[in-house]
Amino acid sequence: MNLFRSEEHVRRWSLFNPASEEGFISLPELVEFFGTETRRHMLDADYLSAWYPRRGAERLAVLERIGKTSPFWLGTPAPA
Amino acid sequence: MADPRLTDRMFHRIMRTLVETGRAPHYAELARVLGLTVDEARRQLLDVMEAYPIGWLHPETHYIASFPPLNSLPTQYRISVRGEQKWFAQCGFEATSATWLFPGRTVRIEAPCLDCGDTMLVEMRDGRLLTVNPRTVVGHLNYGFGASRGKPPYL
Repeated sequence: MNLFRSEEHVRRWSLFNPASEEGFISLPELVEFFGTETRRHMLDADYLSAWYPRRGAERLAVLERIGKTSPFWLGTPAPA
Repeated sequence: MADPRLTDRMFHRIMRTLVETGRAPHYAELARVLGLTVDEARRQLLDVMEAYPIGWLHPETHYIASFPPLNSLPTQYRISVRGEQKWFAQCGFEATSATWLFPGRTVRIEAPCLDCGDTMLVEMRDGRLLTVNPRTVVGHLNYGFGASRGKPPYL
């Protein structure tokens, strides 16, 4: 989960996974993805019990809104 | 069975300490603050990390390595606030969330590109992008969220 200077730099990266072509995300989308309501409460005294459990649903909603609905983004099952 | 109120209190103390000092506290330091014995604090820390699995302890220790969005173990994602660089983000994605830990402040994210080593700069305040240099900065997920299990988390 890294930032790069551009997509071209990602593809030139020595550890680039060729199967990750769908792994790009624009910075504004990333800011939305990591700026959901629960994130704004990370300093609240009850964050872990009250806010963190809502994080998964929020993330799913953002991913759907920005069109990242493949298993790559939604989470593939662990190998058996 | 874990006490949710105590788990909340320890989580809050860890996050606050990270924000205030740039590093995560040791469980022995948390013990006194939370009115626990040292061993109670150690076991409570395990409960916190189980409830917050996006962070992790350094393998085979009880040292908090990662407590996103920040990292106690340095990464290439350097975070500065008011000209002071004493924080690190867990990864490039979490770096964009650090803004929420410093309300009303400009949060500066600097990191070398893993391809060329040249610096990237992103500045944010209260969740808004202020500066992006170069403007072409992009995020990338190298293995997919599920498939990244077992892969180095920084990829």
